[in-house]
Amino acid sequence: MKGGPTIEQPVAVRMAGVTRRFDGTAAVSGLDLEVLRGEVVGVIGPSGSGKTTTIRMITGSLAPTAGTVEVLGERPNAFKRRTRERMGYMPQLFSLYPDLSVGENVDYAAALYGLVAWRRWRRRRAILQLLSLWDVRGRRASQLSGGMKRRLELAAAMVHEPDLLILDEPTAGIDPMLRRTVWDEIHRLKDRGVTSLVTTQYVTEAEECDRVALLSEGRLIAYGTPDELRRSALGGEVVEVTMQTLFDVATLRQTTGFEQVRQTGPRSFQLVVDDAGTATPDAIQAMAERGAEVESIRELRPTFEDVFTALVDRSRSGVGAPGAAPPDPGADNDSPPEDREAAA
Amino acid sequence: MGLVKLIVRILAIVGKEVVEVMRRPGAILSLVLGPFLILAVFGLGYQGIKRDLTAIVVVDPASKLPTDAASYQGLDVRGITVIDVTTDAGSAEQRLRADQADVVIEVPADPLSTIESGKQAELRVITDITDPVLANYTSFMAETISSALNREIYRIAAEQGEQYAVNIGGKDLSKVPPEVVASPTTPVVVNLAPVQPSIVGFYGVAALALVLQHLAVTLIALSIVRERASGAIDRFRSSPMRATELVIGKVLAFGLLGAAIAAISVWLLVSLLGVPMLGSPAVIALVIVLVLVASLGLGLLISVVSDSERQAVQLALLTLLASMFFSGFVLHIEEFQPAVQVAAYLLPVTHGISLLQGEFLSGTLAHPWQLVALVGIAGSLLLVSWTLLWRELRPE
Repeated sequence: MKGGPTIEQPVAVRMAGVTRRFDGTAAVSGLDLEVLRGEVVGVIGPSGSGKTTTIRMITGSLAPTAGTVEVLGERPNAFKRRTRERMGYMPQLFSLYPDLSVGENVDYAAALYGLVAWRRWRRRRAILQLLSLWDVRGRRASQLSGGMKRRLELAAAMVHEPDLLILDEPTAGIDPMLRRTVWDEIHRLKDRGVTSLVTTQYVTEAEECDRVALLSEGRLIAYGTPDELRRSALGGEVVEVTMQTLFDVATLRQTTGFEQVRQTGPRSFQLVVDDAGTATPDAIQAMAERGAEVESIRELRPTFEDVFTALVDRSRSGVGAPGAAPPDPGADNDSPPEDREAAA
Repeated sequence: MGLVKLIVRILAIVGKEVVEVMRRPGAILSLVLGPFLILAVFGLGYQGIKRDLTAIVVVDPASKLPTDAASYQGLDVRGITVIDVTTDAGSAEQRLRADQADVVIEVPADPLSTIESGKQAELRVITDITDPVLANYTSFMAETISSALNREIYRIAAEQGEQYAVNIGGKDLSKVPPEVVASPTTPVVVNLAPVQPSIVGFYGVAALALVLQHLAVTLIALSIVRERASGAIDRFRSSPMRATELVIGKVLAFGLLGAAIAAISVWLLVSLLGVPMLGSPAVIALVIVLVLVASLGLGLLISVVSDSERQAVQLALLTLLASMFFSGFVLHIEEFQPAVQVAAYLLPVTHGISLLQGEFLSGTLAHPWQLVALVGIAGSLLLVSWTLLWRELRPE
């Protein structure tokens, strides 16, 4: 997490009880969401979960069937021109002009937001240099690679320095280095007070966000900071313990603070605790009182893929968070990040 | 500041559209030069006169009428060449069906006796034609043949009458040739038009109006439809862009392109194809601008009602087809039913052809109201298109 919001911050986006139906089928249902100014909020969910529909309602492309949407204090169907000028939108698909060059496309996007020539020239240069497109500014968009096209879209969305940046999968199809660049730019903009609402297919990118909204089947199943979601998914923080000898975890369940324990091997088990920092010495002492000696103990930080999977599974099965047995956070950790992301 | 931003946005659209079109010069060349090339080939290849209809004359064996083709050709029926004379009506019709002749003319067996009995002698002209234009022409030619034959009958009667007059002492009448008695008037056509242009000259001006309409309709319709397909319209919804700026920008961009192409086309018509330009260049420019703006309105309407590029192309081609048929490009508008004429006058090109042909070839605006009509069409189409586009840019 890159720094949480403060209570005093006004709201940039507010959605209350928002439902959007297409031919009677709800793409988004009863969505409540608040994005504070200056926040970076990630919208994550499997394909068809309603991410793009949510984004399009915020940009004013789609009207909600029910509920209210407010963006920068206005309803999207009645956006003032000045309000629109404060927003930047990057659609999921390439929607720029293949016959125009990189520079011309960015210049055109800037002009649509009313930037005069000298400011356009300055901003075009800055944004193209930032996204490593300056050297290809004369190349036609049709001749760009997929990754370059995404960067060009991003440049077009950011060129007019908006207060609210709405990015629909900005990192899809670009290499990890550039993904890093994109997120660095989003954080840099945050430092200047820019609010960013970002959808992503890469679950691991949730870590880049101040808050994360998890969508599944058109419903918001979790919304909070990455740590809050992790705790919500697993019921707390996870401590993995390996004993020197065989150990029956049932004897530990009677101890206050260690009610959630799961045996993972003859000598190993996992504890779900409120705070791993304070629970670790307590656990060592509790084991010692039972005549057992700890070989190793460490806090296990589950990947966000595990968190995401647990929350989605729980949402689908309707099981409540706190009492549920935690997923095995250590599983699949050896698989490459790209595979995990693809699986998500 | 708001006005500056508005101008910036409109100029951005103009610049973007112009650059995009210039990046595809092949499309412009085929749109502009294509029709002129076809027109040039048409002008060089078209003879301007219909070929003679070939005829087989069928005479009754008992009539003792001549059976050589030269005798009938001597009747001087323009547009008919007698290729054979026969007494066998069946074989003549067979040859007609085999496409060896255009018409079969069955001469009555004894026309004078029939006439003397107070009845009209029937001259049957048989054809086997599906082309309605050619069928009409053949009917017209049948009338001509009938007139020629009537004239011949008058001539023979006059000849006999003169002989009678001479016999009874009326010598003065005999000085008038029977041909004059049979045909006392002869047509002399006087054309008051200041110039009599060639086929290319006449149709070239009409083609200019047609090309400009087609160009404007196609370019603007495809531009909007492509933006809808690519998602750019979705981007516009979240941007400060308004439908008004979009319409003004597009109309300005394609209007400027169309005007440049029109200027080149006029130069081609006058310099290379020798089309006379008797009227005022300013009036011609005004007509061209009005045709372009009205056509851009039509293209905008096509773009907002089309849900795909394919549909937009089809509608643009249907507009072109309708323009070819109803605008006066090929057939005169007066030849259509009044309701169809009203529909024809809704097409910008109908007024464009009439006004440009008048201004180029006569040096006058025969129907100045058509300028007002063009303004009305342009205004109505742009207003309807703007309304639909404004609705499209609102949240779905």
